[in-house]
Amino acid sequence: MNLSVGLTTSFSIEKIKWITERADALGFYGVWVGEDIGKPQEIFTATSLVLLGTRKAKIGIGVTSPVIRNITTVARASVALDEISPGRFRLGLGVGGIQDLASIGIQIRKPTELMRRTVGLLRTIWTNKTLPLNDDAIHIRDYRPHFKSSKEIPVFMGVRGPKLLALAAEIADGVILSGPKQYIEEAIKLILERREALQLPRSKFCFVVWNPTILLLDRSDLELAKKVVAVVAGDTPDAVLKIAGIEKSDIETVRNDVAEHGVEKASENIPDRLLDQFCISGEANQICDIFRGYSKLGVDEAVFGPPFGRDSRNAIQKMAQAWRST
Amino acid sequence: MKFGLALNVNETTLEVQAKSQQAERCGLDYVWISDRPSQRHAPVVASAAASTTDHIRIGLGLISPFLHTPQQIASSLTTLIESYGARFDLCIGPGDREELHKVGVDLDNIHHIPSRLLSSKEEISEILRKRKLETKIWLGAQGPKLLKTASSFDGVLLNYSSPEMVQWALETIQEAKGSVPELVGVFAPSYIYRDLNPEIHKILRYASATVALGASDAVLEKFSLLKSLEPARRELQKRPLDKSILELIPSHVIDKFSIFKRQDELPQYIEQLKRLGVRHIVFSYPQSYSAKTTEELSEALTNQGCAR
Repeated sequence: MNLSVGLTTSFSIEKIKWITERADALGFYGVWVGEDIGKPQEIFTATSLVLLGTRKAKIGIGVTSPVIRNITTVARASVALDEISPGRFRLGLGVGGIQDLASIGIQIRKPTELMRRTVGLLRTIWTNKTLPLNDDAIHIRDYRPHFKSSKEIPVFMGVRGPKLLALAAEIADGVILSGPKQYIEEAIKLILERREALQLPRSKFCFVVWNPTILLLDRSDLELAKKVVAVVAGDTPDAVLKIAGIEKSDIETVRNDVAEHGVEKASENIPDRLLDQFCISGEANQICDIFRGYSKLGVDEAVFGPPFGRDSRNAIQKMAQAWRST
Repeated sequence: MKFGLALNVNETTLEVQAKSQQAERCGLDYVWISDRPSQRHAPVVASAAASTTDHIRIGLGLISPFLHTPQQIASSLTTLIESYGARFDLCIGPGDREELHKVGVDLDNIHHIPSRLLSSKEEISEILRKRKLETKIWLGAQGPKLLKTASSFDGVLLNYSSPEMVQWALETIQEAKGSVPELVGVFAPSYIYRDLNPEIHKILRYASATVALGASDAVLEKFSLLKSLEPARRELQKRPLDKSILELIPSHVIDKFSIFKRQDELPQYIEQLKRLGVRHIVFSYPQSYSAKTTEELSEALTNQGCAR
C-alpha cells in the first residue's frame, strides 16, 4: 500500500511549495491536489507547480468537476500537465460537492450519464482517434484539437453513489473514495463485483482513500477534528450515510447547527461516534495502522490530510517518518 | 518600446518552455501565450515557461472570459503571480468566433460583448486587488465597438500591423473616450528574417490570412478590404483554409495583418509605429518557429539599433 499526501486549492502558495519541495524526499508515493471551488488557487496551474517541483511522485488532481468549466479546457490542461513530466499525471474527476455546486447555482440532473460522456470524450480528444469531434449533448461540433497525449492519462473518479461507483468500475482507472469505513468497504465490494462481471482485471484498477486526517498531539486537537466533521458530514449524500449505517437524523442535526450557528459552534455538539466515521485522527503510528487497515479492504493508496493537524508541516513530516518506519 | 514573442501553443509544453528560455536569453521583454480551445491550456504552459525563466514578462492571452469565468482567470493569475512574482500580464478579448462555436460558446448569442468584457476586466482586477496582486490587463481588439472600450483597460493590443490601420484604431479610441490607454501594442503574425526561408514565409501567409479572414467587417469595410476577401470567405465556409483559398486573398490584404521584413527594414517600421504612440510589438507565429527565427528577430532588434 502507498501513502500519498493531499492538498487543495485553498492552500497558500507557500504551503503548496513547502509540500512540493519535500514530497519526493519524504517518500510520498503521490501528491493529490483537490479543487475547492472559488478558492484562491487555480486547480490546473497549482497542479503544474507540484509537477514542476517534483521528480518521482505521481501527481494527481483529486478532483475537479467538469461541470464548472468547458470540457475542452479539462482536456487541454491535462495534456499540458502530462507533458511537463510524462507518466506522472493523474486526472481525478468528480461531479462536485453538493454545497459547492449549490453555492454557484449548479444542479446536476443525470450525473452518471454526464460522467460517462465526459470521460469518453476526454479520451477521444486526448488520442485524436476520431476527428473532427462531435457531441451534441456537450455542444462540441467539428472540434479539432491541436494537441495529443503521448500515452493514456489515467482517469480517477471521485464519486460516491452506487450508480457512479459502478460506472467508475467500468470506465475509470481508479477511484478516490472518501467517507466512513463501512461505506468504503461496501464501495470497494461493489466496484470489484462490477469489474468481475465485466471481466475487467483487478490489477488495472487503483483504490485510493482520501479522508480528512489529523495528527493529534493532545486532546485540544480534537476540536479541529470536530470542525472538519461539521463540514464534511453535512456534504455527505444520504446514500453514503445509509450504506455506512449512520442515522440520517444525526447528520440533519449537524447540518442545521452549521446553518444556524456556523461551523465553530456546530463542532461543539459533534458526538464522538461521528468523529471516527468522517475523520481519521490519532498519533502518527495509529494513523498508519488505520491506513493499513484499509489495505486489508483492498485499498492501494491512502492520502494523508488535510487538515493534517494544528502544525501541518510538523504533522506531514511525522506521518512520513512513521510510515517509513512501520 | 517593449518587444514580445508570441509562442505557438500547438507545440508541446516543453517546447514552449525551451522557447521562452531562448526569448529571455535573446533579451526580449515578453513572451505571450495564447489560449484557444484547440490548443494547450495557457496558464499551465505559462507556469512551465515561468519555472525556467527568471525575469522575462509572460503575457497570458488572448484569453476569452466567455470560455473561462473571470474568477477562474483571476485564480490562474493568482497562482502564477504568487509562485513566480509579478511578471504576468493578461490580455482578454472575445476570442475566435469559429473556434468558440465548436466548443459550445456562441458569441452570436452573447449580447453587449464590449460591456461584458469590461465588466470581466473589472471583476478580475477587483479580485486581484483584494489579493494585493499586480498585473496589467490588456484588451485584444480590432473593430470599432471594442476599441471604444479600450481606454478602460491598462493597454490595448491591436491585431493588425498596417500603420494606417493602427492610426485609425487610436483615433477611434481617442474619439470615444478622449484618451487612449497607457499601453498600445501591435500583435501580428511576423517573420523578420536574415535568410529568407520560403517554408516559413508560407506559414506566415496562412497565419496572416487566418487573422484577415476573421477580421471585423467594420475594419475591412473601412479599409476597402471586405470585397477582396469575399471569395476566400465564401470558400472557407465549405472547407478549412488551404492553398487554393489562400490564393484567393490578394497580397496587399495579407500584408496589412502581418509583419514581414528583412532585418534592416525593421527599424523604420518600428519608428513608424512609435510615432503613432505604439509602445509594444508582439511578433506572433511563425517568428517563434525555430531557434534560428527567434535569433533573427533578436539580431534585428539589437544590431539594427531598434530604439526602445
